[in-house]
Amino acid sequence: MGEEDRNNSSKRLLVVGLIWLVATVLAVIAVAAIQWHPFAASREAEITDDAFDLLLLFAAPVFTFVLVVGGYTLVRDRDRGTGADGAPIRTNRLFIGTWVVITTALSVLIVITPGFTGLDELRAEPEPDLIIDVRAERWNWAYTYAESGVETQGTLMLPIDRRILFRISSTDVIHSFWIPAFRIKKDAVPGQITTTMVTAEVLGSFDNQDEMRVQCAELCGVGHARMFTGVTVVEQAEFDAWLAAAGG
Amino acid sequence: MTIVRGAIGGVAGYILGAALLMSIRAAAGSRAWEVESVTAGAWLFALTGWLLGVGVWRYWARPWFGKKEQVYTTTGWRRYFDFDTDHKVIGIQYLVSFLALFFMAGLFAMVMRYELMGVGEDVLDADQYNSLMSLHGTMMVFVAVAATVGAFGNYVVPIMIGADDMAYPKLNALSFWLVPPVLVALTASFFSGGYDTGWTGYAPLSVQSDVGGLFFNLAFFTLGLSSIVGALNIIVTVVTMRAQGMTWFRLPIFVWSIFITSILSLIFTQFIGLAMLMVVLDRTAGTIFFDPASGGEPLLYQHVFWFYSHPAVYIMILPAFGITLEIVSHFTRKPLFAYKWAVGGLLGIMGMSSVVWAHHMFTSGMAEALRKPFLASTEMISIPTGFIFLSALGTLWMGKIRYTVPMLFALGVLFNFLIGGITGVFLADVPVDIQLQDTYFVVAHFHYVILGGGIFGLFAAIYYWFPKMTGRMMNDRLGKLHFWWMMIGFNATFLPMFSLGLQGMNRRIADYTPDLADANRAVSMGGFFLGTSFVVFLYNFLKSWARGPVAPSNPWGARTLEWQIPSPPPHENFEVPPVVLADPYGYGEPDSIHADLGVTQSESIEEGVEA
Repeated sequence: MGEEDRNNSSKRLLVVGLIWLVATVLAVIAVAAIQWHPFAASREAEITDDAFDLLLLFAAPVFTFVLVVGGYTLVRDRDRGTGADGAPIRTNRLFIGTWVVITTALSVLIVITPGFTGLDELRAEPEPDLIIDVRAERWNWAYTYAESGVETQGTLMLPIDRRILFRISSTDVIHSFWIPAFRIKKDAVPGQITTTMVTAEVLGSFDNQDEMRVQCAELCGVGHARMFTGVTVVEQAEFDAWLAAAGG
Repeated sequence: MTIVRGAIGGVAGYILGAALLMSIRAAAGSRAWEVESVTAGAWLFALTGWLLGVGVWRYWARPWFGKKEQVYTTTGWRRYFDFDTDHKVIGIQYLVSFLALFFMAGLFAMVMRYELMGVGEDVLDADQYNSLMSLHGTMMVFVAVAATVGAFGNYVVPIMIGADDMAYPKLNALSFWLVPPVLVALTASFFSGGYDTGWTGYAPLSVQSDVGGLFFNLAFFTLGLSSIVGALNIIVTVVTMRAQGMTWFRLPIFVWSIFITSILSLIFTQFIGLAMLMVVLDRTAGTIFFDPASGGEPLLYQHVFWFYSHPAVYIMILPAFGITLEIVSHFTRKPLFAYKWAVGGLLGIMGMSSVVWAHHMFTSGMAEALRKPFLASTEMISIPTGFIFLSALGTLWMGKIRYTVPMLFALGVLFNFLIGGITGVFLADVPVDIQLQDTYFVVAHFHYVILGGGIFGLFAAIYYWFPKMTGRMMNDRLGKLHFWWMMIGFNATFLPMFSLGLQGMNRRIADYTPDLADANRAVSMGGFFLGTSFVVFLYNFLKSWARGPVAPSNPWGARTLEWQIPSPPPHENFEVPPVVLADPYGYGEPDSIHADLGVTQSESIEEGVEA
């Protein structure tokens, strides 16, 4: 490589680096400006949405790196009808070494946080205040409030700020118990009791938020799309009154 | 004639098998005719009869019984409808069959998107929607698994390594002729009411589905047989038939990708066969693998299923990586950057692909303790995958880039897979996955990987090797029009699906809540735009094949072996076995020669370049 080539090469790297920097800043601003998440109403939703946002931050420079380096070279290095060959660069220890170290470090980092840390947060606070048995069958949901023995169908009533344990079962095929506003989902498997926990932190109901619903998220046959019921979160006192009226 | 003989053999086999099973059933005191049990058993007899009929008997099995083998005399276009053992004929048989399946499954997608344009059930009821969706998924998975490997693994790999054919030509023909029964089973499924389980066929739903579900099991099982046989053949071919001097690290990267894909196929396809077999047995033979009431375990199905079906994602995408790197090197006129790292990336993906399957099951109710290890292994598989991008970017850098149609599609693979790969990192994160599992975020993600990566790779390969395979050039302008049309249509369809998933639209539903209506209409419009792009392709493909300008032997000026022989290549590929002297990527390196092909062939190459 001649002196001129080397200067040229350094100049290219500098230009690409600058564009990458600018693109990354713009991407991070865009990521922050976009509303990614729908209505959120639980402690779990915060953990999940935070994990998603953190991953967006990690992803932004990777995404822009490939686009900027690729885009730059696609524009600059197109053959202008010369029919010539490109520079026979088969390897570059510095570039490869840096790439391997950074991608490995980033992968490990992502595993630790938000991966393991998010999971640990979700699993913290394992003591329930309220246990609800969820029974899925084609194609509706039934809820039994374990302590009082009250069984309901239709809208799922929950008190705010209480740790709720759902014990989920199915009588026929696999269903999945999903409440989009809570960011919780667990399959209902015949012959097995699965569990998931949630703390609702916002009052609301399906009437004003589409995400406040129990939706079946595992294909279960012809009624699958319509297998959902509303979720209503109320104050404890109102919940107690409702439960008493319902027969508890 | 071949197909008629095969059909007669198939029907005879079915009748024989059915008679046998019915007499056993009658002897055991059951009702003799029961469509599922009888069909499941008789299918194996029908397959055998079909294979014997299409040519196994005449060209292969007769000597086993002391009879004289028949001489194969078919010539011309009839070869494509016969039990031909030339890897080039078989490659084209695969290509045309799976393109047909691809367009059929694409039409189903159009109908689905038409239904999903508005709230409520418009043209399809929920049952029809589920059937169509299941068939769309199944057929597209079949295409993604088998089209590239079957077409180009067969056609190009033996030539690229300097061989005259595959190691087992008859086995090769057999692996292709297992494909028509797959199409028969899919058709039977469609006309017997379909099945409503999606291509994943989770038990116990799949055990309870209509008879269409049985045909789905049989179709997948049969394609699996074909894959295993084909994979074995490719592995042995690459190991034993490389030309003199074609050392492992002189192999074109596409050969590496097909070789590694075949190892994955050979190891893992048996598990999908097993999953299908267990469901069939539960349906017909009274076993209780997945019946919890009798002590069975529904989650077992998912473990066995994904133990194949995650590696299958790599079976779908690795060939596209291989094509992409191959094309990027030839059209930047630069050596493939970091060749050994790219090979290492493919090997790394192969090694890790067997320890990531349970990331499909984070919300399934499997043991909590499995979540962290599978989260970690899945995030880690992005390291070897990154090497593909390392190699591609390094090759592009300071190249002399030629924007041919194959090159555009290769760049499309890189762009689309970048999005597919990065969103995979999100889905591997358990907290995020709990929300996004089974939503349109997942639908968008895997379409970016499989359609945006795998199928764009397939089209890159078609445009790249079409001149070699047909001896004719495709129209460049129409090719570019197709690329941009498809690229824009693809992104317009699937990018908004990420947003739909985030907003809370779950997958596999015929209807949705009204807040999702606008986005769905936009997705449908994108989908129709994408769908129509293939009209351009088909016109160009068919017209060029019939009447395109005659292709020279090396229209792209590429250095791999297949471009050093005439288009299309003669039956034995090379007049004399080539001697390989260096890897095929010596662009810009004076005096670098990939292979010595002997005098006569070198002369014909020079003529080809001038033409």
